[in-house]
Amino acid sequence: MRPLTLKRVLWDCAVLLALLFLVVVVSLKLGAVPVSMYGLGRDLIRVALGRSSELSSEYRLIVFDIRLPRILLGVFVGASLSVAGASFQALLRNPLADPYVLGVSSGSALGAILALVAAPHLHLSSLAGALLTPLFAFLGAMATIAAVYFLARREGQIDSGTLLLAGIISASFLSAVIMFLMTTLPGRDLRGMAFWLMGDLSTPLPASYRWLLAVGFFAAAGAVYTTAADLNLLLAGEREAIHLGVDIVRVRLVVYVAASFLTALAVSVSGAIGYVGLLVPHVMRLLFRSDYRLLLPTAALGGAIAVVIADTLARTVVAPTELPVGAMTAMAGAPLFVYLLRRRLT
Amino acid sequence: MGFQRTGRRGCVAGRRQVFAAVFLLAANTHVQNAAPGGTGPRVSQAPMQTAVEFTDEAGRIVRVPQPVRRIVSLAPSLTETLFALGAGNLLVGDTDYCDYPPEALSKPKVGGAINPSIEQIVALRPDLVLATKSLNRRETVAALDRLGIPTYVTDPHTVEAMIASTARLADVAGVHGAGAALAASLRERLAALQSRLNGEPARSVLFVVWTDPLISVGRDTFIADALRWAGARSVVESPQDWPQISLEGALRLQPEFLVFSGEHSEAEQRNLEALAQLPGWRDLDAAHEGRFAVVSEAFIRPAPRLLYAIEQLARQLHPQAFLSPPPPEQKPADAPAKPGLAGQTGSLGAPRFLEGRAACAR
Amino acid sequence: MNSPAHDFPGSAAPFSAAGADGETRSTNDYAQEGLEPAGTRTPRLSVEQASYAYAIRGSEAPEFTLEATSFHARQGELVAILGPNASGKSTLLKLISGTLEPLSGRVLLDGFETARLDARTRAQRIAVVLQESQLLFPCRAWEFVLQGRHPYGRAWRFVSDEDVRIADNALEQVAAGRLASRWMDKISGGEKQRVILARALAQQPLLLLLDEPTLHLDIGAQVGLLENLRRLAAEHRYTVVVVTHELALAGEYADQVVLLHRGKCLRVGSPAAVYQRDLLEQVFETRLTVELGPAGRPRVSVLGK
Repeated sequence: MRPLTLKRVLWDCAVLLALLFLVVVVSLKLGAVPVSMYGLGRDLIRVALGRSSELSSEYRLIVFDIRLPRILLGVFVGASLSVAGASFQALLRNPLADPYVLGVSSGSALGAILALVAAPHLHLSSLAGALLTPLFAFLGAMATIAAVYFLARREGQIDSGTLLLAGIISASFLSAVIMFLMTTLPGRDLRGMAFWLMGDLSTPLPASYRWLLAVGFFAAAGAVYTTAADLNLLLAGEREAIHLGVDIVRVRLVVYVAASFLTALAVSVSGAIGYVGLLVPHVMRLLFRSDYRLLLPTAALGGAIAVVIADTLARTVVAPTELPVGAMTAMAGAPLFVYLLRRRLT
Repeated sequence: MGFQRTGRRGCVAGRRQVFAAVFLLAANTHVQNAAPGGTGPRVSQAPMQTAVEFTDEAGRIVRVPQPVRRIVSLAPSLTETLFALGAGNLLVGDTDYCDYPPEALSKPKVGGAINPSIEQIVALRPDLVLATKSLNRRETVAALDRLGIPTYVTDPHTVEAMIASTARLADVAGVHGAGAALAASLRERLAALQSRLNGEPARSVLFVVWTDPLISVGRDTFIADALRWAGARSVVESPQDWPQISLEGALRLQPEFLVFSGEHSEAEQRNLEALAQLPGWRDLDAAHEGRFAVVSEAFIRPAPRLLYAIEQLARQLHPQAFLSPPPPEQKPADAPAKPGLAGQTGSLGAPRFLEGRAACAR
Repeated sequence: MNSPAHDFPGSAAPFSAAGADGETRSTNDYAQEGLEPAGTRTPRLSVEQASYAYAIRGSEAPEFTLEATSFHARQGELVAILGPNASGKSTLLKLISGTLEPLSGRVLLDGFETARLDARTRAQRIAVVLQESQLLFPCRAWEFVLQGRHPYGRAWRFVSDEDVRIADNALEQVAAGRLASRWMDKISGGEKQRVILARALAQQPLLLLLDEPTLHLDIGAQVGLLENLRRLAAEHRYTVVVVTHELALAGEYADQVVLLHRGKCLRVGSPAAVYQRDLLEQVFETRLTVELGPAGRPRVSVLGK
């Protein structure tokens, strides 16, 4: 009998964290413009020692102002999507659930389209303009979350069966609206949508929004973690969980809101990057354990690693052309999905 | 079975995870602090140059350091324009699709027009980046703004606007004389063409961008305007840039001519013949009577070479207006002669002549 | 106080059960909370005129009614709720477990209304073994049994040594110790049933409720289960309530039988008292004979129609 201990959780997380660190450093090195490992190492040390003013200007711009923000964004987006995916798999008791199954990404996309359409008519400063799309996308996502919640509510609480159905219907409806808009609106403002719909990390964000992302992630992921033990029981059966003392109503609400919030955060800045939220939890279950007290942190770290690797590949395989990161995750994700299916998603 | 002593208290996240998160957040902060001011560091150049402010065609205010020494172009039309202005030597980078003039092919590439590599652009240390609203993404321009790289955006919707844009580009790029000269010569050609076509009725045409699905051009594009200058009228009245129309819709409109742009070759001729046999297409009068007009791909690029393509189309649509001795041919100096169908009326049957001239109001 | 050999309720003290963190709650604790400990003489479980009706939305007539039912069960007793399908057995079970609140009457466990308890306290006192449910991601048997310790944990708590010991013990109690490291989806139905029972025992409950536990088992496993339950009830002073339609098993093992038919409780009593031929034939709609065996237990034989 080897029950899960705190030590085990810390150890596994430390291993993944080290791997993430390695991936980040290598990603900083790779890109359309070659950066030497030595120069990079030297500059990283200078940053760590607080001597940023001594950085050579070439590296500074490319590495620290273009690549590093993008990589950090990838870390948070990957972590958010994976935690959200794992949470929805437990909430809906369905191993095929991903963060988008409840329509959040479609609502977000609709918000983004509206922002792209409205932007030329509102004369905004550069900062506000950069914030407009993520903001509208986030609001679109939250509106969808609220709508699906009210659709799925029965007798004052979320009903699991209805939730999935409500989510799928909303996603479907919103996708139809998006398709309609994209074919009827003048195309010049919507060119960016193709990238956004595939998932794209190349849009730089103001630093303030990055902070919001970080704080939001830890708050929401933390909230889900408080229900980790309950989720384990929920997966063994809903009625059994009730009889074992799980407050189903509270757990469902917390997980639904927190996981949807995480998805909204991720999608609002990067579009709908696919396969990460679906597959990373399964891979982590295979490599580590199904116990959510371990799965949630390992999925977060695993998702971060996956997205950073995918984004680096997207930037480098056909450099200088950049592919959207969603294309990479799809190309790697689909065969991986088949492989996992054949292993019966253990 | 041995059991391990474990702590009784749970924990949100591992301690080491917290440390790492702090590191990543600290890196985040550094990135913010490295920027003196809100919009990112300036690309460091030679010590303070004078900068001139321009308002570009997207309404943005752009501060361009003078003199301009290094330009990156993000659209094939802008690359062509730069060369036409004699500023090709200032170009240090362009897109994968910039193929005219041939010198453009040898410039360093920064990727596609829609998804260029920002890193690559930065690495080329440009004083100025040129973009166009119809091809490039807002996000690309925003990214360049945040890095402090001056980006000038063009957005011509008519031929006249393209000419004016060309003149302005000369100012922005610092080659002042060339702009006025080129603009004047382009306007002369347009005027000459107009006087030639004076009185000719405008032919109704369907400009075919793609055959399956059938995509044409919208009424607010410069292409539609170019059609007007060539003595034609696009039958499509959509406000979208590249509207997709149904074959039945085209049948209802029954244009007099079908206009295609692209590579010219024998293969293309056979393709057109084959197209005329397809169901739906063969019901179009223009198709089964062979009233095709083919123009060079310069027709869809808002660059000086566009005028050559307009003249090319005008010859095919109104051949009788060109029977009298023409004013001195003004082909662009660096345009290679294109073999093939260019300049010939439809490949099937004898050239069509119109009986008489109908008075028409332009 | 509990000695290691008596982890389970029913030790010398009239009422002691393991509370949170493995502490033993003595009668003093309950006195502080203003509660009255029950003695061994008074019934642990009291169902007093409890009734229920499922209502179809918007219509006047309720869909199903369980009419007022009463019975009492003491520590160490095994009660069988007996009846054919759709007789209200599951509804009665839900009323006892506190999942449903009775429309009239009440269900008391050691003096507390089960429906009014919060989920956590209820899980510490009542363990429910339901019919087999889908395990989404397979886990090992010991992980499964450890789930039974959930009602005693704090939100983010990881498992303690005490929990492991109790879980181990629970597996031993059902003779499934050697199954501990096996995967749940790879063991047989009977073995799985024992592990599920072990999880229930790990909750250290006062009351064990089982809903048709013998459904998917062969006769050997069925008997084994009932033997186990009777032994557990006797040794560890559980109150066990089993919902079943197995006449023979109920007759052989139950101390008390509650006979239900179409939502009505027809009789409550010892098996010999309840197994009257006319009554059984009416309820089960088939011809039977009933004999009394040597131990005073009724034996039922089915005749053809």
